[in-house]
Amino acid sequence: MLNIPTYILFFAGFVFFIFLGIIAFLFIGKNDELNQSRETVEKMKKSFQALDDQAKLIVQTDLELNKAQEALDKRFAGLDALQKTSRLISTSLEENEIFRRLDQSLMAELGFEKNLILVYDDNNQLNCRVHIGFSQEDTKYIAMNLQKEDDLVSAIKEGNTFSSINSPLSRREIIVRIFSVENFVLTPILTQHGCIGYVFVGNRSNAEPITEGDEELISILANQVGQSLDNAHLFSEVFRSRQELESKVKDRTKELEGALAEVKNISKTKSEFISAVSHELRTPLTSIKGYASILMTGKLGEVPEAVKDRLGKINIHSDNLVKLINDLLDISRIESGKVEMNFGRSNIGNIVENVHDLLTPQLRDKNIQWEAIIDPKTPETLLDSSQIERVFINLVGNATKFTPSGGKITVKVEFDNSVIKAEVTDTGIGMKEEDMAKLFSEFYRVDNQINQTVKGTGLGLALAKKIVEAHQGKMGVTSKVNVGTTFYFSLPIKQYFEKEK
Amino acid sequence: MPTQIGIGFSEALNPEQAAQEAAFQSKTNLNADRIDLAIALCTVHYQPEQTIPILQKILNNSNLIGCSTAGIIMPYAIKNQGIAVITLSSDDMKIGIGSVNNINALNTREEGVALAIDCLNDFGKHGRQISLFLIDSLIENNSLFLKGLQEVWGDIFPIVGAGTCDDFHFQNTFQIFNDQTLHHSAIGIILGGHMQIGIGARHGWKPLGKPRTITKAEGNLIKEIEGKKASNLYYEYFGEEAKNMTMSKLGTLAILYPLGIYIEGNEEFLLRNAVNILDDGSIVCQGDVSAGSQVHLMIGNKASCKQAAYDAALEAQKNLLGKLPNIIIVIESMARLKLLGRTAFEEVSAIREVFGPNIPVIGLYSNGEICPMKTAEETFKRPLIQNGTIVVLALG
Repeated sequence: MLNIPTYILFFAGFVFFIFLGIIAFLFIGKNDELNQSRETVEKMKKSFQALDDQAKLIVQTDLELNKAQEALDKRFAGLDALQKTSRLISTSLEENEIFRRLDQSLMAELGFEKNLILVYDDNNQLNCRVHIGFSQEDTKYIAMNLQKEDDLVSAIKEGNTFSSINSPLSRREIIVRIFSVENFVLTPILTQHGCIGYVFVGNRSNAEPITEGDEELISILANQVGQSLDNAHLFSEVFRSRQELESKVKDRTKELEGALAEVKNISKTKSEFISAVSHELRTPLTSIKGYASILMTGKLGEVPEAVKDRLGKINIHSDNLVKLINDLLDISRIESGKVEMNFGRSNIGNIVENVHDLLTPQLRDKNIQWEAIIDPKTPETLLDSSQIERVFINLVGNATKFTPSGGKITVKVEFDNSVIKAEVTDTGIGMKEEDMAKLFSEFYRVDNQINQTVKGTGLGLALAKKIVEAHQGKMGVTSKVNVGTTFYFSLPIKQYFEKEK
Repeated sequence: MPTQIGIGFSEALNPEQAAQEAAFQSKTNLNADRIDLAIALCTVHYQPEQTIPILQKILNNSNLIGCSTAGIIMPYAIKNQGIAVITLSSDDMKIGIGSVNNINALNTREEGVALAIDCLNDFGKHGRQISLFLIDSLIENNSLFLKGLQEVWGDIFPIVGAGTCDDFHFQNTFQIFNDQTLHHSAIGIILGGHMQIGIGARHGWKPLGKPRTITKAEGNLIKEIEGKKASNLYYEYFGEEAKNMTMSKLGTLAILYPLGIYIEGNEEFLLRNAVNILDDGSIVCQGDVSAGSQVHLMIGNKASCKQAAYDAALEAQKNLLGKLPNIIIVIESMARLKLLGRTAFEEVSAIREVFGPNIPVIGLYSNGEICPMKTAEETFKRPLIQNGTIVVLALG
């Protein structure tokens, strides 16, 4: 039989077992939760780690991007600077100015701390033309020591560029020793005459390392400098040649002016002489002609036929002589400017018609066909109609003289661009080149059969040319032997209108 | 006479010519009888010994302060070479300046105290509004210096500062104080009187990868991260390439990927650049770091930088309470110049978008920025050392 304490104990034991069971049950449940939490934490840790790994990748990628961006920025800035620098130096054709402009732009634009341009002088000594970041003393030291490095200098002169990223160690050490700069580019300035100097740029510390882009940039710059210096030298040579040429032209012009003045003086003296002589000749000639006429009238006694015949010849020759003297006088007056053209409004077509009327008998005698082609647009203009008529008479007269029977004379008048152009063309015997050159000289007569039989003074064409020139025009001739000759002259009309105003 | 400001700039290659042109232009643009303060910002292409005498002469020996910089922020462009001179003349504004030379690395805090007192002595008994200081970024721990300044000026007094830098060589920095060229030094200015100021600062960098805990730190040294050498963090992220890098190269990389320290309640992470890595693998930062902090490697891009500039300008404008500023001074991390490259001016455009095109904007690139920041636990903004940040200071 169980007593009460035993019951109590039994009950307590029972409760304890139940409690243990509950605890065990709860513990198992919690343990599951704990395991789950642990797994979650583990997963979170892994996720964090994965995120951190991703972050590392992001940083490294960002770093690369930053580097690329920086290199790109530097390259862009460098190209921009190169373009500006090139423009600056290429617009100068003076050596000192080129270096002055480089001095201003290099440091600010290209962004290198140290810049040096060394150029050989006439004595083959290196001179510093641009120095930024180096003192005057530094540049002397560098120039002196660089010249001592024969191997290095020869290699650069061959067109090699050395930089802190591409040079063999031995060369790099020499350059670093001379320039005291760790990061550098040293490149030659090449011109048509070879290497004339060097461009050096550099940065002091590794914070600004040299890149291949810098190397390219400085090589291009050095080429630009070389080209600009070539251009400057070329310009200088051309300028010098031009100055010499100008000086020679000046001397020659002076000589020619002297000669021209002399010729003018002689011509003036000649004109004055002709004028004086003509006057002196004309007075006795008038008397001779007068006395011959009186004798011919028979008022002083019967004149035998033979004497009459001789007196007639005296009269004709006197007339010829008077005409010759008059022509000479006209020429000398026109040359000396003593004759003023009597300008008036005239129609050149009418002048041609008058000339045709005047010379019709001669044309008819020789059975020469006449054609006048007058441009209807030819305006009335201011000219000395009697003098221009004289020109036409002279030219048509000559044409008649040298055109064989059955030939043709054409007079053509055109108006073109404020100029009246007149031509007298014949189908005559023509003339040689050498005759054409002398044709307008006074007293020149072409040596041909007609001239040997027909008399003339050799003053007609000279006078006609002077008259045309007095009208500000020009006269010329074209001819072909046995084909014919064309005399042409121009009369600018604008000046006459101005004169009229 | 209201506050008048003149800005001059020259990028002439000849140092004397550049100084002369910049100073003369600034003085002309100031159009005032008196110059109360002149600030010269110079790139390292110019020896200050050559430029200072010219600047002083043209600026009538007025108070002159300045420093070297990696670039000058001008209203129309970013200039990697040149001298900029800002002249200021005002009856409303009170100015006090001071300097400490050859800062002793062992007594950095005391040097900060000395500068603060020097500036206060010059400023006199006026109402202080803000203080600026320029400190050589080659001094590794600026946190202690800042603490020294705060001991005198007060914990919550707004301080804006810049670590003066060079052209990414981390060796040629200088500071200008009147007729002196200083190195390893700091210069301070206190501005006060009737004026309105607006400050805004952002960086825009975002955390990358998993957070890590700084397990051992001392002052500005991070000794261990997650129980390993602190430098392992960079080697892990940058890969094998980083192991062979010189410190200067690693430094250039590190400024693009600063360390970000999480601050409870703050909008942005506190950034720290590695200025050096010691032989034992410790990372030397520009400011203090606490053990137990969570640290991330940070990453930024052009869009985030531009947005940060815009946000900083908005914040500065908000602080002005509707008043128009006379000038916007920008202090910006050189890391941003490196990151943005040719597009660096877009940040200035973003600032001008906020303030309008007629307010002159000028600034410098720095290595380490100091600006007031607000954390969740604090009621007021406290000046903190940051890296990779753009600080917009609007003076009205």
